[in-house]
Amino acid sequence: MKRQKMVPSMLRAGVVALSLWGAGARADETCLSPYTAALIRGQEKYLQVWTLGVKGMGDESDKLVTVNVDPKSPDYGKVVATLSVGGRGEAHHMGFTDDRKYLWAGRLDDNKIFVFDVGTDPGKPKLVKTIDDLVPKSGFVGPHTFYALPGRMIVGALSNAKDHGGATGLAVYSNAGEFLSAHPLPTTDGGDGYGYDIGINPQKNAMLTSSFTGWNNYMMDFGKLVADPAAMKNFGATMVMWNLKSMQPDKVFSVPGAPLEIRWSLKDGDDWAITATALTSQLWLVKKDDKGAWVAKDVAAIGDPAKIPLPVDISIAADGKSLWVNTFMDGMTRLFDLNNPEQPKEIYSKHTGSQVNMVSQSWDGKRVYVTTSLLANWDKKGADDEQFLKAFDWNGKELTEKFKIDFYGLKLGRAHHMKFTGEAQKAASVAPTRL
Amino acid sequence: MSAGRRLALAAACLCWLTAAAPACAQGLPLPAPGTYKLDRIFRAPFGVTSEGGMWPHLLSRDTEGAITLLSFFYTQCVDPLGCPLAWEAFGAVRAALQKRPALAARTRLAFYSFDPAHDGPALQLFAASYSAGAPPVWRFITGWNDFFMRRTLSHFGQEISPARNGDDGRVVIDHMLKVFLIDRAGWVREIYTTGFLDPKAILGDIETLALEEERARP
Repeated sequence: MKRQKMVPSMLRAGVVALSLWGAGARADETCLSPYTAALIRGQEKYLQVWTLGVKGMGDESDKLVTVNVDPKSPDYGKVVATLSVGGRGEAHHMGFTDDRKYLWAGRLDDNKIFVFDVGTDPGKPKLVKTIDDLVPKSGFVGPHTFYALPGRMIVGALSNAKDHGGATGLAVYSNAGEFLSAHPLPTTDGGDGYGYDIGINPQKNAMLTSSFTGWNNYMMDFGKLVADPAAMKNFGATMVMWNLKSMQPDKVFSVPGAPLEIRWSLKDGDDWAITATALTSQLWLVKKDDKGAWVAKDVAAIGDPAKIPLPVDISIAADGKSLWVNTFMDGMTRLFDLNNPEQPKEIYSKHTGSQVNMVSQSWDGKRVYVTTSLLANWDKKGADDEQFLKAFDWNGKELTEKFKIDFYGLKLGRAHHMKFTGEAQKAASVAPTRL
Repeated sequence: MSAGRRLALAAACLCWLTAAAPACAQGLPLPAPGTYKLDRIFRAPFGVTSEGGMWPHLLSRDTEGAITLLSFFYTQCVDPLGCPLAWEAFGAVRAALQKRPALAARTRLAFYSFDPAHDGPALQLFAASYSAGAPPVWRFITGWNDFFMRRTLSHFGQEISPARNGDDGRVVIDHMLKVFLIDRAGWVREIYTTGFLDPKAILGDIETLALEEERARP
């Protein structure tokens, strides 16, 4: 009984003995699942780039490219490891397991999911498992988003095996790679069944999903797609608020134009998320209205929507006060002021390439990384098909390029999704999670 | 997560502990027990444990045969969002279960120490003090030896740092707080972390597993 009295007294006294380990374990990185451990608050050491192989280039294979991004290292700005996985299957996005030891990476065409060990030696990842049962287990096609839950991974898909259209869902796997359950996106009460990104707010028991398009469209040549009015109708126009505990849809929001990446504000007390629509070039805010009901509303244009700049990736600052937005068609990297999320304002822009897709910022906001590939068949042709990783410093006023890695020049392929890794997790006294 | 958010989270948990109304977070309501499913995430492993006495036990003694809420801990932990928070949550769950004897009789609480060097003798004392009340039973165990402890921790994905001495002389073992809900057959059905250690959610999940058992009966 003595213990029962001791613990509450410690809480009341506010005894804080938080370790760095523990603090990291409970922190949110700006675009990671809130359940992801070991937040990198300081200087990231490596950047993993999920890279699409190109026929006739190098080994032609999709690969995980590891770049040293530590300015104090003699290898700064250099590719230090490449890990080819064999074949080309439309490599796309990645996500850490909750312990940040493993990085799951998906391919949208052949539906394979590769699990890399990035905890043991982040400078030299190892492929430890390939998951290939998404389609037979769930009926879904196109493993896109990898979002950690404790001990599990939610895989957000883009399509389905029946018609390769946009109706799809969420598949849940254990960290060991065992399929656990499937959760279709809603097709009633305003739902269109389309899927794309996932964003969880655990304190609100809330999960948001967004919507893109199915295999028929994302594997089609981009020029052919935009010239096909029927195909252009097959894009998502909804976001869904889910009850996280039950994994059941709670409310469908009408968000026309393919809402893509979802970012909850990480600022204490904030209670909103933001997304960008690819086709209509708008920022949308999801928050509660005066009556306490969740709503989604169009709050700002990105560039000139009439020119279809095609907003793609977004990256929110840790304090929720700003948002980087890449627009693919015009190759612009834009910064929006979110001090009033109801009225975002573009405050800076820079032409960072002929085509730019992903944008990732460090926790302190001082470093910004940009890559180029959207989809193999959607990337630009000829000289405009630049494929690079660029690293910038951000001083609050200007992006200053620190290094550029030419992925075509090094015969690597198309540079797509990025994730940061830090030091090897040497402190762990137990073996890695079984796989 | 910032210090402010951590404290807000702790306050939210304490709010639940001290108030009758649970809707501190003003988020989406938790679903009614039995209206949702919990995945079978992984099976609790084979292991050999000690309760501080001479004789070993199988880990399955504490992971099968009842709905089990299990957490790993060490008694010298003073991180308010580490073991003490788990202790508070378990206390709240226990108090709520004691008001529902039928459900309490089907439920077990278990703390597994990963600091047997210091906690070994204390386990029996804890067990004695916590077994005096009404169900649910609250077990205090550790690994029978270092091999079994590390194997168990690894299987549950419970990472710990090497032990070190803190400024106040206490042992410090950094770890991620995780609480595991295990069904009667030994399957882990939910994992709670600091960000989602809500006693009301835990109780709903326990009741959901109990209802699942009842529905599965011929």
